[in-house]
Amino acid sequence: MGKYLEVSKTYMKTQLVWRADVIFNMIFTITKILFACLLWGLVFQNKEMVGQFTFHGMLSYYIISSFLSQLEMSDGISSEIHDRIRNGTFSKYMVIPVGIEKYFMAMELGIVSFYIIFDFIAAVIWIFVFQIRFVFAEEAWLIICAVIMTILGMIFMVQLNFFLGVLTLKYQGIGTFLMIKNNLAALVTGGIVPLALFPEIIVRIMQVLPFYYVTYLPAMLLTGMCKNEAITGIAVIAGWCLIMQFSIHVVWKKYLRKYDGVGI
Amino acid sequence: MNHTIIKTNNLVKTYRRYKKREGIRGSIASLWKRDHEEKKAVDHIDLSVEKGEFIGLIGPNGAGKTTLIKMLTGIIAPTEGSIDILGYYPNDLKNEFKKQYAVVMGQKSQLFFELTVNDTLRLFKEIYEIPEEDFQKTKHYLVELFGVGELMDVQVRTLSLGERMKMELIVALLHNPKILFLDEPTIGLDAVASKQIRGFLKEINQRNGTTIILTSHYMEDIKTLCQRTVVINHGMKIYDGTTDELFDRYQKNKKVIATFENPVEDIKIKTQNVVLLEDAPYKKVYEVAKRFSKNLLAELMEYEPKDIVAEEEEISVIVERIYQDGGECRG
Repeated sequence: MGKYLEVSKTYMKTQLVWRADVIFNMIFTITKILFACLLWGLVFQNKEMVGQFTFHGMLSYYIISSFLSQLEMSDGISSEIHDRIRNGTFSKYMVIPVGIEKYFMAMELGIVSFYIIFDFIAAVIWIFVFQIRFVFAEEAWLIICAVIMTILGMIFMVQLNFFLGVLTLKYQGIGTFLMIKNNLAALVTGGIVPLALFPEIIVRIMQVLPFYYVTYLPAMLLTGMCKNEAITGIAVIAGWCLIMQFSIHVVWKKYLRKYDGVGI
Repeated sequence: MNHTIIKTNNLVKTYRRYKKREGIRGSIASLWKRDHEEKKAVDHIDLSVEKGEFIGLIGPNGAGKTTLIKMLTGIIAPTEGSIDILGYYPNDLKNEFKKQYAVVMGQKSQLFFELTVNDTLRLFKEIYEIPEEDFQKTKHYLVELFGVGELMDVQVRTLSLGERMKMELIVALLHNPKILFLDEPTIGLDAVASKQIRGFLKEINQRNGTTIILTSHYMEDIKTLCQRTVVINHGMKIYDGTTDELFDRYQKNKKVIATFENPVEDIKIKTQNVVLLEDAPYKKVYEVAKRFSKNLLAELMEYEPKDIVAEEEEISVIVERIYQDGGECRG
């Protein structure tokens, strides 16, 4: 475990080098909240409730959802693997005594741990600045479920991006896969519009997909909603993690022999 | 007692690559039908390496040297043949195997450019599970040997190419590997830095008994460091024997480069077997038979050159001569 902890620490240190990035990342969390204030301010002008949301409930959802999606940075993993396989430098990871997937998990943890602190500070500041009457879950078990689901969701996203990156061994280019994943994730994670506002049949379909449990459901749980989905949600995302791990195992074993490290 | 630590039998690596006719028509046609061709990068290579050997692996560009190193380190799998390194099959990528060796490739880096070398070393200490005491001892020894004490706390990206290569070697040697694979470690380095690196490698080989396999385009690296040399061309081993014999037998000439402060027009050379390759007012380049190079240097010194260098012949010339000699494989 020590080696992976050190990997996390090392990547956390690399984040600390770029001070301007830290400040801008904090400042840019405001754009989503500003957009939400303007949009939902108009929608709620003549209404008390939209779906199950009050105005402040909706803004609370946006702040939590934006905080969680800000932490989901696993995109870099697929592009790192893809680029390194294509230009023949993936061997950097192959020649050191580590489990490569675990290394990427640890890398992600290091980066996320760093941002979790600053994004949290940013979220708290904006709540005060915009004088939002923050709506937050009161039951401890619900908060615990949301945290577990968030962790599993992050693990799933790392696994998915690792899996897509490894597909470069077979397909050489994974741009199409990434595009599909990104579009699907943008919609199903509820980052654009809360899924509770969609027709029920659409929500039911989305509930089968793992992205539903990455930021949307944890954000809903943390604002005290969708309580009845908490336990089943954990089971579903855990199931997806297992499926993804199995897929990685199969693909890694099958395609690793295709790596030729050409171009150097 | 000799102890074989690397053994390959009939090692073959074939790459499959995509071929396309030139132009837009070729590109459109390739949407439907793709042609591929196979290229044998390594062709039935048998290699046996004893513990503590310092071996040079040379050959022209595309000869298959790097591919061979990649197979020996497990980065790629062979198409045919067998490899046994310290009882492991490299492409199984077992962590216990990876702890036995280190690889330094001139064009790749294990360093974190945003961080300091000390940060990278700390990471590698954990990755290789080195006890703190051993880590401090080895680090101290390597830092002293390479004379880089004052550079350990500066950001890697600010280091020069030569300094960076020293750091890559420190990172690679931190866990005291039994085998060190070096792929063009002196590429792009100036003469002073190359000489320093050669000195360090010699010390590591002699003091620690580390087996070193070195590929280089610079004959000077091979001549100074390696007792044994393997020459590869078109994926095949065409020479495997002592470095001294290789140079005695196949290196016939030297290239002498003299540069001058003031223009020199007519130099009358009396030494035999000399060919003038370049004749500029400030620079003269000669090719001279190895046994007469001393005479030529003495003659040129009379013209008070600013600098004078005698270089070994290029690898391609030696490869050509081995072929002319029947491409005999020794060893």
